[in-house]
Parts: sequence; structure tokens; C-alpha cells
Amino acid sequence: MKNLRIGAISAAILMVAAACGGSSAPAAESVDFSARSWPEAGAVACAAGATGLSQITSVDESTVVFKLCAPDVAFTQKLALTNFVVNDSGYLKAHTADGSIVEKPNGTGPFSFKAWEKGSQIVLNRFDGYWGTKAKAKTAVIQWQDEAAARLLSLQSGAADAIDNVAPTDFAAISADSTLSLKAREGLNILYLGMNNAFKPFDDVRVRKAIALAVDRQRLVDTFYPGGSVVATHFTPCSIEFACEGDDWYAQDIAAAKALLAEAGYPNGFKTTLALRDKVRGYLPAPVDVATDIQAQLKAIGIDATLDVQESTTFLDNSSAGKLTGLHLLGWGADYPDPTNFLDYHFGANSSVQFGAKFDAITSALSKAGATADPAQRKALYAEANNAIRENIPMIPMVHGGSGVAFKADVAGAHSSPLGNEELSVMDPGGRDSIVWIQNGEPGGLYCADETDGESLRVCGQVQEGLFGFKTGTAEVKPLLATKCDASADLLTWTCTLQKGVKFHNGATFDASDVLDTFASIWDCSHPYHKGRTSMFEYWGLISGFLNPDACAKPAE
Amino acid sequence: MSAQTPFRRALRSFLEQRTARVGLIIFSVLLLAAIGADVISSYDPTGVLIGVEPTAKRLAGPCINLFGCEGPQHVFGLDSNVRDVFSRVIHGARLSLQVGVLTVGFAIVIGTLIGAVAGFVGGWVDNLLMRLMDVLLAFPSLLLAIAIVTVIGPGLLNAQIAIGIVAIPIYARVMRASVLGLRDREFVSASRALGSSEAGILFRKILPNALTPIIVQGTLGIGGAILDVAALSFLGLGAQPPTPEWGSMIGGDRNLLFSSPHVVVFPGIAITLTVLAFNLIGDGLRDALDPRLQR
Repeated sequence: MKNLRIGAISAAILMVAAACGGSSAPAAESVDFSARSWPEAGAVACAAGATGLSQITSVDESTVVFKLCAPDVAFTQKLALTNFVVNDSGYLKAHTADGSIVEKPNGTGPFSFKAWEKGSQIVLNRFDGYWGTKAKAKTAVIQWQDEAAARLLSLQSGAADAIDNVAPTDFAAISADSTLSLKAREGLNILYLGMNNAFKPFDDVRVRKAIALAVDRQRLVDTFYPGGSVVATHFTPCSIEFACEGDDWYAQDIAAAKALLAEAGYPNGFKTTLALRDKVRGYLPAPVDVATDIQAQLKAIGIDATLDVQESTTFLDNSSAGKLTGLHLLGWGADYPDPTNFLDYHFGANSSVQFGAKFDAITSALSKAGATADPAQRKALYAEANNAIRENIPMIPMVHGGSGVAFKADVAGAHSSPLGNEELSVMDPGGRDSIVWIQNGEPGGLYCADETDGESLRVCGQVQEGLFGFKTGTAEVKPLLATKCDASADLLTWTCTLQKGVKFHNGATFDASDVLDTFASIWDCSHPYHKGRTSMFEYWGLISGFLNPDACAKPAE
Repeated sequence: MSAQTPFRRALRSFLEQRTARVGLIIFSVLLLAAIGADVISSYDPTGVLIGVEPTAKRLAGPCINLFGCEGPQHVFGLDSNVRDVFSRVIHGARLSLQVGVLTVGFAIVIGTLIGAVAGFVGGWVDNLLMRLMDVLLAFPSLLLAIAIVTVIGPGLLNAQIAIGIVAIPIYARVMRASVLGLRDREFVSASRALGSSEAGILFRKILPNALTPIIVQGTLGIGGAILDVAALSFLGLGAQPPTPEWGSMIGGDRNLLFSSPHVVVFPGIAITLTVLAFNLIGDGLRDALDPRLQR
């Protein structure tokens, strides 16, 4: 009798709480799950050559079906991106409306969000209701400091347990310090020297080839990069399957470069600019120094390049819009370990005009390679694509740059991730309550479907989870909120089975509706929850394209 | 015993001051370095030593043959681009002196004109011009310079213009005060009585007699201007790489302060010595030219 009364009171409290709603209350759970699809009216009619989703369906509580317009061999790898972490439907509804989702993330991860002290730090608490292995530290504190020397000082003084992107000049000192440990990060990235063939003299392939023959890429690796960095034989790092099919890139040959320039009508070289942004990245640890060295190397064939250091966002915008008339120095870090992530984004049919007009030989090979799961075919097609890139030289692949993370020696579980997805939950900071991690910069926002910077994604990765993720410290995909995703024979239908018993930090239970609403809200520009910091959802746009594109946010002019 | 001219008296008074002599010596060394930079330095200040030094010697410390170091001599070592730091510092002296003199020269010309007109004409013209100067002075000088460079774009010339604009009110106020003290003097009234035009009185009679404080202020200002342009270059708003400008050199390699201190210490010392030299000379000139301090 007593138990019955307690049960009735509890039920009444839960009903009141559910009726009140609010951000801290768990979202109301439906007793009977109803299957839903997006778009509700039926699958999108895919145009010829279209890629991306055609429909998502939540079949039952633990089954979601993704239908695609074109076969996609890297579908599960794309689902592993931190941009596509799953949000609770109720939380999406409540917090996209007022924009607070940008600053207060909710997820199923090992840490729950506590506070974002703007300009200072983000504090995360261990989530004791986590469905997997619980975090070792009670609290994770993520701070930022853009000066490498200041980051190292914080580590040496004990103010931090780990620092990201150690300066290459500090590698030796950290390795020699018994109180610290250094974890090298594989160079799953590419630094390239871009040229736009819409502008003279880069419209002449002989000029582009002359520059390719003039640069001494080994010198750059030897001079500016830490151990683990290698000269790029291909655009995509060779540790990725099919990346290095086809011929290696050209070796330095100054005499041949001069002859080509003369043949193209520039026997005495020419004047140009070398644009860059002064932003340290794993593929570019010393931007101005590397650019200065390239500038000096180009002088050997008479090319007088003036450095043009631009503000980071301006530079990226100019590059994407094809406005850089001279050379430009830019790079790319892997989001997922597949050639599509490197090659399609830069040279595919939907790529930007960064390098000017596209080359049919490259785009057609890439389209075919991304639509087949047959290893032999992919191997042949990527060899064809890489050789076409080598032949047409839209840019010059330079270096796959290694980088490093430094820890206090007593941090157990210390590791670095080739994708920059370090997991703080597996790190035990020598028995201390908090693990303090210092990265390069402050996140732009914490609704990571609408963010692209690594600083934001790393924070989201501690708090939220996607259907898939990456094994700790590797680029190997592992199931997370999905136990598996089975593809149909034609690779057009992916049926994903979800974990059961997973709770969000706000108390809501994870199910297929959350997956459907998460992806539908990102995919469909007219979806009521399609709101973020910029509402551009750039990664989704690159990977899948949008539904109802007329309603999509447009980039600022 | 022949009477000393005012110039000789001022020069003697200046040279009698020990600190002024120290300033003059440092300045002379800097001037010689600036003029003879091409002869003194062995390497191209912007040239990466490809084929001369192996990349392994990047950031190598000073190598002086006299002290037993073998191989190519680098008195101040090599920087992060395998360039000779000594050559860059020496060429930086040329650049810094040019920057200081041109920036202050620009500010003096504009500031003197504004101050002279305001002080001589008086009334609403004086009010308007001086309130404009007050507005400029109300902003912290470096912040205002950063704002100006942000608008007109980074670069050494733009940084000089920005620092010059920020310095204008200082010279305008000094000149106005001098003109106010002179415009009612007898020699001005005499010129007016003899039929001189107002402009003639201002530019031929008053200005030459009002220049002394401007010279002192200008000398002190050169040090400040060099420091401000170096600060802008440090922030990436002034000289652009690979220009051998001291502030830019420190800014570019600031993260190497602990691992390779020579790349920032030598340009830092150069800035310090230059600013010190101009400050000492400025103080010496003030003492030598101020009639109230005549011994």
C-alpha cells in the first residue's frame, strides 16, 4: 500500500515536470513509438548525378533507415564526424528556438556540459549516467591560448595537464623532460600550394608544372616540421586506403623548371603574390616561416612572390570564392579517413573554385570512385584521379605535417588522435579531480553541426556522441550510438540499429526519433530546428547537400 | 674674448652633459650602421641561406670566428628561416631611423601648421583646431594607431602614417603655445607696423623663433615613433615579412624566447638602444636650448 502511494506521488511529480518542460527537465517520452520519415511525403526524387540523402525513417525505437541518392562507400565514416552527433529531440526543439543550443550542448557523452566562461574556459562534469566506460576525471576543463610558448609554460608550471599543438622547436625539450610526455600526432593532413587557373600566368599548365618542379619540399620538412612529418607523394596521406595509388609527385628539378617557364614565355620569371593566413595548424606549424622559405625557393627560377598575410576568415573566403590571383598556401586536416574527404572536397564536381576551372579527368574519376565499394575498382579509379591531378597540377601537394600533444608525465591514458579527437574521458590526471587541457583557440560555438573549427569539435566530442565514432587515438571507425549499420547491395539503403538504454544528460532516453530529428534538422533548410550559430551547416552541405536549399542561410557578402 | 653665438653656446652646453654625449655616441653608431649596412652585413637581410647553411642550423646561436667558431660567421646567430640575424638587425637600423625621422617629420609639418595657425589666428579657428586635437589626444595613442591601420590596411607606410597622425596633436599644442607667447611681442608688432602681411609675420617672424621646443619635442618623439611602429609591426600591422624590421622580427619569433633567445634579444636590444639614444639626445637638447636652464 505504502509502495503504491509512493509510486502514485512519483508519477504525479513526473507528470508535472513533463508538463512544465524547461531546459533542465527531461524531454517527455512517448509511451508508444510511432514510425516517422523525413520528408514525411516520401523520398526525395533524386536528380541525375545527385548525391546525399533522399529520406530518413525511424522504423522503430532502435532502427533508423537512411536512403541515399547515390552509393556512398564512406557513409559510416561520415556519420562518425563530430559534426553529426545526435541531439535529443526535445532539447533541439527547446534550444534551437532561442539559440541557446550554441552555448549549452546536451548529449550522451561521458562528460556533461557545466559552464562556458567566455574568454577563459569551458568546464565539463563527469556524467555518472553514461552508458559506456565512465570518465576517469570528475571534471574536464578546456582552456585556450594561441601562443605555443604560453601553452608550454602552463604545462611546465602545472597549470595544465595537457597542451595541444606543441611548437616543433619545443619537441626536443619536452622529450628530454622527465616530468612531461609527448604524444606525436600522425600527419593525417596536407599542406598545399594552390594556384587558380582562371588567372594568368597560372592558366598555363607549364607554369604550374615549373613551380611544382621548383619547390624543395624536403627542405620544408627538414627545416620547419617535427618528426612524423613527410613530403607529400600524393594529396591524400598514404596511411589512408587507396590514397597513394598512381604516380608519385614530381621531384625538384630547377633546370627543367626554368626551361618550362621559358617555354611558357616567362624566361625571366614573373611577379606574383603568395597569400596565407598566420594561423598555426598541424599541416603548417610556422605559416610565415614556411611561406618565406617558399618565397626564397621560387626566386631560384625568377618568380618574385610577395607575401600577403590575410586575416584567417578573409583568406578562407577569398580562397573558396576563387579570388586569390596569385599563389596561396593552405591545407586540410582529415575529418574521416577516406580519399573522398580529401579529393572530393578539393577537386570533385561540387568543389569550390579555389583552383579555378575543374578538370573533367579528375572529377569523373572521383565520382566513379566514390560510388563503388569494390576495392579493385576504387584502387584503379583513385590511381586515375591521382595521375590526373599530377598531370593538370591544380595545386602542389607539399607536406603531411605531424604535430604533437604534451602531457604531464603522470597522466594515464594520455594519447593523441590523428583526427584531433582526443578523448579526455580516458585520461586520468594522476589522481587529481580535474584534467585541464589547453588548446589553440576558443570554440566558435558548441552546436557542432554548424561548426567547422577543430577547437569546437573537440569540446563537442567530449559531451556528445554520434552513431559512429573513432577508436581512441586512431582513425578507425567504431560504432557508438549505433551498434551497426547494414548497407543494401546497391549501397543506397543503410539500416542502422541503435544502442538501447542510453540517456541524454537532460534525462531523456535516446531513440530513433532523436536520430531522425537530428539529421532532418541539419539536412532540411526549412526544418523548424534548422538554426545554429551561422545556420550554414557547412559540413553537411559538403557531404550531402541540403533539402529545400532555397530556405538555406546564405554566406555573408 | 669673442662673444659666443647662441648655436655655439647651445652646442657647448649640450656636449657638457654626459648623458647627452652617451646618446650622441649610440646614435652615431646607429647612423653609421644604417648608412653602411650593405658593407657591414655579410648576407642579404631578407635572403634565406639556401645552399649556404644546412637546414639543421636553423635557429643556431651566434657563431663568431674570433671565439673559435668555425664555418660561416653569424655574429647574432641564425633565425627561424635560416637567415643571418646580424644582417637583419643592421638593416633594421636603417629602416628604423628612416621610420622615426619620416614619421616625426610628417607629424611636425602638419602639427606645426595647425598649431601655428590656431595660435596666431585665435578665436573660433583656434577653438575648432584645438578641440580636434583634443579629440585625437583623448584616444590612447597606440589604440588609435591600431584603429587607423585596421582601416587603411597593414604595411610599414600605413603604420608610419597612423603613428604620424596620432603624434600631430603633440606638436600642434607645443607650436600653439610658442606662437601664443610670441605673437604679441615687440618684433611682431614692429613687423606689422612696417606693413608685413599676416602670413609673412607668421611664417617669417614667428615660426623661426618658435621652433626650438619643436626640435626638442621632435627628437624625443623619434624614439617614441620607432617604438610605436615596432609595436605595430610586432602585432603584424606594420612591416610585413620578410622586411627586416625589429618589431616584426620579435613578433615573428616571439615563441622562441626561451628556446632560441638570440632571435628576439638582439632586435630587442637594438630597439632599446635606439630609443634610449633619442631620449638622451632629446633631454640634452632640452637642457641646452631651454633659456631657463642656462648656466
